[in-house]
Amino acid sequence: MIDVIEAARTAGVEWLSLYAFSTENWQRPSTEVDFLMRLVRRVVRKHAALLHARGIRCRFLGVADPRIPPALARDFADLMTLTGENRGMTLTVAFDHGGRRDIVAAARSLIRSGVPADAVDERSFAAHLPFPDTPDVDLVIRTSGEQRISNFMLWQVAYAEWMFPPVLWPDFRAPHFVECLRAYQQRDRRFGGVAPDTNGERRP
Amino acid sequence: MTDTGSDEPRNTGTETAAGGLFGEGGRFHAFFNDPRWALAIIRGTVLEAAHPQIGGALIDNSTFVTHPWRRLRNTVVSLQRMFGPDDEVRRREAARLNRLHARLSGTDAHDRPYDAMDPEVRAWVVATLFESSVTMCRLSGQPLEQWVIEQLYAEFRAYLALLDGDARHLPPTVQEFWTYYDRVVEERLENTEAMRVILYRLFDHLPAPPLLHGLPTLWAAGRALAGPLIGVITVASLPEPFRRRAGLPELPGAQTLMQSAYLAVGLARFLPEGLLRADAVVDLLSVSLDSDDPRARTIGALRDRMKRAGALVRLVSPLPSQEPDPDAGSTARRSAEEFFAAVLDQTGDGYLDWPDLAAMARELAGRLDLDEPEETRLYDAFAGWWRELQAALDTDGDGRVSAREYAAAVPSLAGPALIRVAEVLFDVTDADGDQRVDADEYRALFRTAFRRDMTGADGTYARGAFVRDFLAFMSGRERSTPYDPLLADA
Repeated sequence: MIDVIEAARTAGVEWLSLYAFSTENWQRPSTEVDFLMRLVRRVVRKHAALLHARGIRCRFLGVADPRIPPALARDFADLMTLTGENRGMTLTVAFDHGGRRDIVAAARSLIRSGVPADAVDERSFAAHLPFPDTPDVDLVIRTSGEQRISNFMLWQVAYAEWMFPPVLWPDFRAPHFVECLRAYQQRDRRFGGVAPDTNGERRP
Repeated sequence: MTDTGSDEPRNTGTETAAGGLFGEGGRFHAFFNDPRWALAIIRGTVLEAAHPQIGGALIDNSTFVTHPWRRLRNTVVSLQRMFGPDDEVRRREAARLNRLHARLSGTDAHDRPYDAMDPEVRAWVVATLFESSVTMCRLSGQPLEQWVIEQLYAEFRAYLALLDGDARHLPPTVQEFWTYYDRVVEERLENTEAMRVILYRLFDHLPAPPLLHGLPTLWAAGRALAGPLIGVITVASLPEPFRRRAGLPELPGAQTLMQSAYLAVGLARFLPEGLLRADAVVDLLSVSLDSDDPRARTIGALRDRMKRAGALVRLVSPLPSQEPDPDAGSTARRSAEEFFAAVLDQTGDGYLDWPDLAAMARELAGRLDLDEPEETRLYDAFAGWWRELQAALDTDGDGRVSAREYAAAVPSLAGPALIRVAEVLFDVTDADGDQRVDADEYRALFRTAFRRDMTGADGTYARGAFVRDFLAFMSGRERSTPYDPLLADA
């Protein structure tokens, strides 16, 4: 994991998000969940100093479920506090995250703020999502040969490019990441329209 | 360096007698009024704890974590006695230290033996004190001159000679000392459990200094700053090769922070008397962070930095090797667990271990103002009880007793060793040896008057009743006894 983060930083990626644990993952057997929690805690603590030294701002998206061990929640909070002022790269770890839940939360927040229905547009809605400064996602890499969204940052991936490398996540390393980046650079992104300036000719 | 002080009167370090080295004229004496010295002693303790043998002894015996301020004070008082002008006081203190150290031997968690009487170990303790004193001056931008260092070194060697009879385990000259010091740092020091415990637990859960006992809120505010700050400063001041090898964090800006802390604390002693008054500090700490008081912004900025430092220290400090199972127990178990947390686990780490029982023995010995050999008898009794508990309750063999292991075996708790503790406690409480604890003796132990229902017909507390009540309390069967304020609340 740290390998990939390092590769992304070196390649000039400013926003990197990792999907660690979804709201649905709680349905897995409790021994597996416990193991995952311990593993995440070890990883966070092992790399905290390095992440900070690299100037990476770390934050955790989700992290709302009371089943998250308090010690782990404390480590998350500590890492966010420690790296909160860093501006090198923003690493968002989606943990106990669900894209739909975020959208529901934004809707709730919007209603609470008393905005009239007609005043709601995409931009003002997005401002109520958790971490509203997160830009739209450009590229999603779904490893392990799976080809589904799995409720990941639903709002932000609207125009994302997708890659589905067959390599399993634990084996996914810096070279794989760089390869995905290179493939992404070859993609022709049109955001639903046609490319505005192909062949140096402006189209109306 | 222009002045090597070759014309200064110097002690070559070959004399072992105290003549001329101690008292007002000594270099060491100048440190006593220096607030930087507290930082230096903490740093020295961390370096001591990184020595595997000393680390083992500290883990097993020290109250540095439970009562750091008391331990700090004890160290300073002891050094003051050793470096003071009175030879008789010095001799008694050396004897006391030797007695204390003779008790500190055993094997650590990895079955490696430790022995506080080992001359190599004692030389290292003295070496860390000397090196930390020199480093303290260097770090605060006021390095000592070479001849001062040499005289200070001679004083520390004489100190070791007083304890050991000779100082041959410390090299004769300062030049050779640095070679020795670097070699120990390179080859002997480890990231020991004791060092981690001191750095982590101490700085995260720093108890209030006695001065602030009446002001819990003030201390809560102070601890948020002081705990992580002292931790970061101490880590940053450790020798670089050791920091690297032990995997201690490099916090950006920590070196500057550490040096300015040493400098600031060093300068504080030049402030006019009374400027650092407690009420001024209280006033400062009560400034609301939202107010437009210009001081609020400075404190706010400092607090943010300290928060980050605290977060880092917490994140990088190693985890306990295993976490207790969050297993809900029955109601009968719960009360056993309550007792475990309130009385037995004195250090609050979730496990019953020798330091917990040692803390009880120390508290009892302190209250009764015990001297030798009574102090040793009490400690021995507690040590015996610890061995009994360990043998009976430590089912997973990790060397300590968890709350669950304890709860599973409460009925078998009152074994012969615990009865022995009760007997010895009765003996040492019964100061005049008339086989009765009378009102004064009772008050010395419990700081409260007799309860009527406890005394026999003659108005005293007999051995049988004393032992029975102690056992009832210690096996957790009886609540709200006079032992509660003594061992649970204190």
